[in-house]
Amino acid sequence: MASADIELQNVSKVYYKDRLEIPVIAGLDLKINPGEFVAMMGPSGSGKSTLLHLMGGLDQPTGGTVRVGENYLENMTQIQLTKWRSQHVGFIFQMYHLVPVLSAAQNVELPLLIFKGLSSANRKERVKTALTVVGLADRMDHRPNQLSGGQEQRVAIARAIVTDPDVILADEPTGDLDAKTSQEILNLLNLLNFEFGKTIVMVTHDPKAAAHATRTLHLEKGELERDEVNAPRPAAGASA
Amino acid sequence: MTMGYIVLQNLRRNRLRTALTLVAFALPMGVFVLAISLLAALIEIGNMNERELRLGVHHKVTLINLLPDAMRRKIEALDPERKRLTAVCGMRWFGGKIPEEPAPIQSLAADADTFPIVYSDAGMTPEDIEAWNKDRQAAVVGYGVIEQYKQKYPDFKLGGRVSLKSSVPPYLELEFHIVKVIEKANRAQTFYFRRDYLTESLKEAGVDSPKCNIFWVKCNGADELRELQTAIDQEFSNSADETKSEDENAFAASFTQALGNLPGLMNAMAIVVLVIVGLVAGNTMMMSFRERTRELGVFKAMGFPPIRIFTIVLSESVMLAAIGAIIGIAPVWIGLTFYPLPKLGVLPIASLKASPAAAYISLIIAIAIGAAAGFWPAYQAMRLRTVDALRRVA
Repeated sequence: MASADIELQNVSKVYYKDRLEIPVIAGLDLKINPGEFVAMMGPSGSGKSTLLHLMGGLDQPTGGTVRVGENYLENMTQIQLTKWRSQHVGFIFQMYHLVPVLSAAQNVELPLLIFKGLSSANRKERVKTALTVVGLADRMDHRPNQLSGGQEQRVAIARAIVTDPDVILADEPTGDLDAKTSQEILNLLNLLNFEFGKTIVMVTHDPKAAAHATRTLHLEKGELERDEVNAPRPAAGASA
Repeated sequence: MTMGYIVLQNLRRNRLRTALTLVAFALPMGVFVLAISLLAALIEIGNMNERELRLGVHHKVTLINLLPDAMRRKIEALDPERKRLTAVCGMRWFGGKIPEEPAPIQSLAADADTFPIVYSDAGMTPEDIEAWNKDRQAAVVGYGVIEQYKQKYPDFKLGGRVSLKSSVPPYLELEFHIVKVIEKANRAQTFYFRRDYLTESLKEAGVDSPKCNIFWVKCNGADELRELQTAIDQEFSNSADETKSEDENAFAASFTQALGNLPGLMNAMAIVVLVIVGLVAGNTMMMSFRERTRELGVFKAMGFPPIRIFTIVLSESVMLAAIGAIIGIAPVWIGLTFYPLPKLGVLPIASLKASPAAAYISLIIAIAIGAAAGFWPAYQAMRLRTVDALRRVA
């Protein structure tokens, strides 16, 4: 069971398009403690996804430092970041992005293929455990088109946790789901945070989803507008 | 699960597109194996001819123009001591065919006395030569002709009596007695019979024409062949019947090229087809890559190294090409191995057999095309920025 803290100091990110400078994040400071479940909210273009990408080492800051656990991401090469991601970060996306021609178990096994020295039996054991955690042990051989949207997102969550990452980064994980299924997914994230101690950062537009987190960050034009500690989370299974 | 399994499964995403691309590989690769096998057969025949040191002397204008019978003695007189030539055999085109069949048989009337010497590669034994000399209707027939007709016409066998009708005036129909079956590939499609039989039959039909289309001169060596080639053409220069002498390979090549430079045409077509296949495969792989940009972005986010992404996309292209090529090559290979084509039109080929080299070369070419077609999409996938790919998600 692994967990890590995240610290951003004076982070800025500027994109360039047709020689035009587009600042997205400007001088942002942020500290997320190990085992925290943080929701990031804000209007479109406020820099939520960019911040998530910076924390996950998918992109590098224009200025400032991004530290996840012991690692300063701005100093790492692309190859180092790739390897680091495979071992320390699990991503969950809005559209699940499962490989349609692979079964649920095979989709979950994907991140383990780049782990050296892991036997086939060991991989299968890990896959089974991950799918059991998300409640889909009986759907291992189903292909994505044989699963509901909520089940697909569960498989995607199993894929994110199968490597036992320190941090889970979720980009609108309930954005494509109905209220009931969203609730199930949020309960699952709560479980991963509460029972397994995972540090979770979730981007969302939905205040009800954000209420499941222990803390909510409000971003506006690339700056941290508000940082709120949430009321105790709703009990698992309660309506969103 | 292995990476190979993922690559294979990826080909199942769009089955119709995969099937069409496989066909796009299979068809030209099958034809390619046929073409290379055909060229290999032609080269093999050329090599056989080269060893026989025969010089063909025909009219300078065209092979159709007949040469006088007396020319044989004049050619022999160029080397009375037989230091450079062994024998001269006059031949006349008969153009015979089985009356009930549309296709002609390459049938030639040859001088009875010198045919066994000039065509020693026909492998006639003393008994065969005796039978040939004794019977004016004797015929020496290639195994390709026998194989082609023996089922429908059981008399096409050693000792059988068969009739051929000439396709040139006066359209004689002659009966022959098969006294020898030639087992050599370079003579497999030819039907030889005695010229004295033809001359007498023509005379009976009111045509007194003891003439030849070509004289084949068997030489003692390669140097002698070149010397005689010059000497013969010089001998008949400025005469009514000027000659053109060619070694047997050059003669066969010019004969084949009369069909329209077939090897050159085949090469040109093969190159065009291969380029088209490459473009089709490249287009398929590019479409496949574009459709999966987001997914590849997720792979990168999961920590798949760029080289692994490159390998996945490239392997798909190579696997598609290899499977397509095998689908195309296998039936042609199996077909030619178990049912070698007995005859291919007018080409001087006895049977078209599967050439292992043709199969290997075709497979290698297909894989090379697959790799070339997949390289750019694979490179694009490798260079893809993860955030750019993921932005297409959100």
